[in-house]
Amino acid sequence: MNKKLHSVSPESGPNSNLDLTPQLAQFSSAFLFEPKNIVPFETALGWQKNIQKSLIEKPFSSQAVWFLEHFSCYTIGRGSDMKNLLFDENKSPLPVFRIERGGEVTHHMPGQIVGYLVLDLGLHKKDLSWYLRELEQILIDVLDLLGIEGTRVDGLTGVWCEDKKVGSIGIGCKRWVTQHGFSLNVNCDLIGFEKIIPCGLNNVKLGKLSDWIPGIKVCDVKPLLRETVRRRFKLNWENI
Amino acid sequence: MPALSSTMTEGKIVEWLKNPGDKVERGESVLVVESDKADMDVESFHDGFLASIVMPAGSSAPVGETIGLIVETADEIASAQANAPSTLPQAAANQDKESPSSQTQKKQASVDSSQATAIKQTPPVPDYSVNNEQFLNDGRIVASPRAKKLASQMGVDLATVRGSGPHGRIQAEDVQSAKGQPISIPWIAESNAPARIVSDMPLKEKKSVDTDKPPSAGKSFGSRGETIAFNTLQQAVNRNMEESLNTPCFRVGYSILTDELDSFYQQVKPNGVTMTALLAKAVGLTLARHPQVNAAFSSEGIAYPSQINVAVAVAMEDGGLITPVLQKADETSLADLSLQWADLVKRARNKQLEPQEYSSGTFTLSNLGMFGVDRFDAILPPGTGAILAVGASLSKVVASKDGSISIKKQMQVNLTADHRVIYGADGALFLKDLSYLIEKNPYSLSS
Repeated sequence: MNKKLHSVSPESGPNSNLDLTPQLAQFSSAFLFEPKNIVPFETALGWQKNIQKSLIEKPFSSQAVWFLEHFSCYTIGRGSDMKNLLFDENKSPLPVFRIERGGEVTHHMPGQIVGYLVLDLGLHKKDLSWYLRELEQILIDVLDLLGIEGTRVDGLTGVWCEDKKVGSIGIGCKRWVTQHGFSLNVNCDLIGFEKIIPCGLNNVKLGKLSDWIPGIKVCDVKPLLRETVRRRFKLNWENI
Repeated sequence: MPALSSTMTEGKIVEWLKNPGDKVERGESVLVVESDKADMDVESFHDGFLASIVMPAGSSAPVGETIGLIVETADEIASAQANAPSTLPQAAANQDKESPSSQTQKKQASVDSSQATAIKQTPPVPDYSVNNEQFLNDGRIVASPRAKKLASQMGVDLATVRGSGPHGRIQAEDVQSAKGQPISIPWIAESNAPARIVSDMPLKEKKSVDTDKPPSAGKSFGSRGETIAFNTLQQAVNRNMEESLNTPCFRVGYSILTDELDSFYQQVKPNGVTMTALLAKAVGLTLARHPQVNAAFSSEGIAYPSQINVAVAVAMEDGGLITPVLQKADETSLADLSLQWADLVKRARNKQLEPQEYSSGTFTLSNLGMFGVDRFDAILPPGTGAILAVGASLSKVVASKDGSISIKKQMQVNLTADHRVIYGADGALFLKDLSYLIEKNPYSLSS
């Protein structure tokens, strides 16, 4: 057992309520998966579905978090506007997946960290807006650790550096059990974004962390994400 | 339109997963609502049929707006459709939950109980415990495999059984209690002590183990030779218990006579007051006079909570334990505490407690009295200053001050406390005061 990961230190963040003394609820358990190889999109989708299903059917079963990279693909939400695909869906240069999340089309590719969080919001807070803001804050905190200032844009979801969007967020939720999560461009090739209107936002400029920190790699960012996610959602990584 | 967050004012219907006329099962996703970058599957609270879609996919509706109608039987679809509000929001606004049934006057009497239910949700959103009133099954029977088997063996009609499981699912115990058999696995150890370990209790109260009977076999999660992984709850308990090793604890014990408390309990029991409520209230009132014992260590100093919240440890049938909390135990009436406790335990069983309902305790009660245990000590939960272990109330030969000897009921309690915050004298005075309240003045609990 990894002592460090399992120590329960009462972290009093700005949101902690001193009147509520922490007991069982403070931490919940989650599996952490960080596949070393690049993962096909549909494979990771299946993983998430499995955990989500078991969490819905069996409350208190384990939550799960993945940090991984995908082969190049596009994904669109159920409510997405097909106009944001600047090509014929049937003649797509890359695989297109229609998935159960909010938001418009986005693009995944190696060099971008995708974070999937299958969490039971019943154990955290049953508030989707809160959850989206927490995901943004995680990305902002990670950028801060790297010495980059990440910002929100009013009325939009995601994280920007200067005028470039580096982090995207889109989630699905069933019985307050989440799926999907965020993506953070680290040192990826952004050219694939030119064939879509990312997130349905015209004139949005995309950026990646290597624009600010030359040479940064996915493996440099993953440990920061791991710790930031763990702290923000008060998770204990469960042994696998 | 359900509220997906506290700040949400309207939501967009992304997709209807069902078409009008489709059968809908309770818990089945009916539509997808999007707010911001989040999609939420919205489920039906009832079995029935989607009669009408009021707000089509792609449209947005304010929170609380009627967006569709679900009826109970296929026969009602047509009438509900005829009476469905138009897609104009202002027309929809005056549709309330009951109106479709009031408008379907033409229907025959046989469906008098049925009414269309508007899919109209206001915060708090999907709370699956709200259907407790609907447990008597109307047609479709949801029962665990074991319950079904037991029912056929015992000749119990499942349609008459009230299900206590999630969504009213009938559990094996429900079948047994319907048949009037004692429930064999009372593994939520509901604290009924100081145990009146006598068998004159009504069956329902009799969660305690009767010492006159041969003891039942102990509990195990695995078979011989096996190693069983801890479940999540057990892991949480493990972490909390390990955490206590960093706390310098001491223990202090007291014997309390309970004859007065028992006779008071007999008086208030008909009003639905439980022993757990009595004990929680007694502890709450005493804590109000001994704030130091309600305090906890924090890195900044001694933290005095703004409320007195008494958590009561409850063992879970499938391992681990949980500590549902009776908020403001000092200020809440016995009747309210009893009701709250019944509700908390029921939802704890179904794992439906909200975090603040089991994590906001400022003092913990642990009771093994119902098993006839005369004394034990408890481990301090992190974040609190003290926990009280309560043993059974047993008949003892007691010598009083004047030297006379009599037989009295006596219960041993044992306080475990964090010495950084609570000192021996604090604990002793608290116990002395608690003992005085229980022995001499139990009637003050009802105030």
